[in-house]
Amino acid sequence: MIRMVGVAKVYPMGSEISPILEDVTLHVPQGMLAAIIGPSGSGKTTLLNLIGGLDTPTQGQYFLNGQDVSHFSREQWAHERNRTIGFVFQSFQLIPALSARDNVALPLVYRGVAPKVRRAQADQALEHVGLGHRRDHRPSQLSGGQQQRVAIARALIGDPALLLADEPTGNLDQATGQEILALLQTLNRAGKTVVIVTHSAEVAHACRQVIQMQDGHLVRVAQEMERV
Amino acid sequence: MMTWRDGVRLAFHGMVSNKLRTLLTMLGVIIGVAAVIVLVAMGQGASSLVTSRIETLGTNVIFVSPAGGTPFPVSEATVIARALPFPTIVVPEMNTGATVSTLTASGGAQVVGTTPAYIHIGAVSLAAGHFLTPLEMTQDQPVAVLGANQVQTLFGGSNPVGASVMIMGQQFRVIGALNRVGQGPGASQDKDIFIPMTLAQSLLSTTQLSQITVKTPSPDQANLAADYLTNLYTNTFGSANAVTIASEDQVLQTLQATRATFTHLLAGTAAIALIVGGIGIMNIMLVSVTERTREIGIRQALGATREDILLQFLLESMAMSLSGGSVGAILGVGLVHLVPVLWKTPAVFSPNALILAFVFSTAVGLGFGLYPAIKASGLDPIQALRYEG
Ligand SMILES: Nc1ncnc2c1ncn2[C@@H]1O[C@H](COP(=O)(O)OP(=O)(O)OP(=O)(O)O)[C@@H](O)[C@H]1O
Ligand SMILES: [Mg+2]
Repeated sequence: MIRMVGVAKVYPMGSEISPILEDVTLHVPQGMLAAIIGPSGSGKTTLLNLIGGLDTPTQGQYFLNGQDVSHFSREQWAHERNRTIGFVFQSFQLIPALSARDNVALPLVYRGVAPKVRRAQADQALEHVGLGHRRDHRPSQLSGGQQQRVAIARALIGDPALLLADEPTGNLDQATGQEILALLQTLNRAGKTVVIVTHSAEVAHACRQVIQMQDGHLVRVAQEMERV
Repeated sequence: MMTWRDGVRLAFHGMVSNKLRTLLTMLGVIIGVAAVIVLVAMGQGASSLVTSRIETLGTNVIFVSPAGGTPFPVSEATVIARALPFPTIVVPEMNTGATVSTLTASGGAQVVGTTPAYIHIGAVSLAAGHFLTPLEMTQDQPVAVLGANQVQTLFGGSNPVGASVMIMGQQFRVIGALNRVGQGPGASQDKDIFIPMTLAQSLLSTTQLSQITVKTPSPDQANLAADYLTNLYTNTFGSANAVTIASEDQVLQTLQATRATFTHLLAGTAAIALIVGGIGIMNIMLVSVTERTREIGIRQALGATREDILLQFLLESMAMSLSGGSVGAILGVGLVHLVPVLWKTPAVFSPNALILAFVFSTAVGLGFGLYPAIKASGLDPIQALRYEG
């Protein structure tokens, strides 16, 4: 699903250039439930953003679903994200002015899906995350856990093959975090590739592949078999 | 790619999400568009008066008036009549401003000493009574014909024929009243009082004329007459510039041109108002883009392309300026109907002004919305998602 070879990311910071990621080589097979762990500032979010095409690598090659996407343009990535990637952010990133239903339906807007169909699918996705009764609520009228479930419903609605979650439980209490994790696990069992950036050992433990970052380097990839 | 229908829906959603701000922003465009429509209508109204004057008076009239200190005695009328090789109506005029009064009312008037032929020029028509007659002329009878405004101020609009008025301390009998000429581009005769010229000479103690009007049987002869008179005065004074010879046509053409300039000026003023409105839209759109930075990042993360974001903001600024334009158009058309009532100046509504206003407000929405929209669509998704607003 995801294959990176010698990927580097450098941000120009004034005159000096600071590498954020260096020589990352990585393979996440299709249907995997993977965790990216590591200390704060080690480049986890940067790596996830590269995987999702929100950012582009300075160097190296990236194959998504066998396709070389190393040099995708912003427009190509927009289409790719719309069709094959679902994002879940730590801070939910819902649009405050829109109802839960309209937030969830958003990816379909950019597919040109008709409003009626969008609404029906959004209701279904909300139903799926157990929020069917809250579809007309604004994000501000929902709890953190509910907001994150709305965000997951939004990531799901386009039926993407790949789910990327950046600390999806970071802003939630433990019980709610477990619910969210269970939801992501269910989705993974249903066939989706899921990559979760996390600080939580519990979340990492639940994953079958653990990618460990340190100072912009990929220091260790643990597969389930090794860890057992 | 978002559909157009979703784009439009999104634009209106953005507009109504902050109603007061949207309304205040639209106000600039509303005022601008209303101003374009009203001011153009007023300009057109003035021009239409000129046109109607040309139609009533015809183009076979020329005016001769003294330029500067040129002597222009009463006898000049005879000189002119003799100089022309075809029959003409030659009407001398001497004018002065004076105070006039009746027992109950008084006011200012333009006293015009002229001959009975004046009525044949066609500039005025009688509402009641008769115009000066040759008999009244030769007998130096103190008779007067009143313009419509004088009938109104001195007699409250009732028929003044047979009543008397005091003009410069002398009593005159009213023999006729004129129909209203209206606020024309040239001098209006509504404030005039016509008296026999012979009497005017002694009353004003002068023999100098202010103008001679010549009416020829055809427009061609009017041009010919103008040539003849130019020659005549060049021979008499050594320069044609000693008198001003102008055909009615020319006078009105000049006025027409002045009016056109005036209309353009008004339209220009209104256009400036619209541009100011546009700057208001740009300002608010820039604020809106900043406020919604995170939203833009979210949309980009979910698959919005550069075009999608551009379209969203461009359609929003267009929706604002077009809504403002529509309200302004309704307001403007309403005002066009109110202007003649309130200010007694004609205003002619032209559909062209409406089209102009719409084209303008679309252009304003597009032109001033473009920069904020480009700014929005160029945002980096990661930066936008991280934005703390
Ligand atoms: N746009 C940027 N310009 C310059 N430096 C950046 C930029 N974005 C991130 N960095 C730097 O890159 C490094 C890695 O950041 P990143 O967000 O990937 O860390 P992280 O592992 O996700 O940390 P955390 O666990 O705190 O979220 C940090 O040192 C950060 O300061
Ligand atoms: Mg991070």
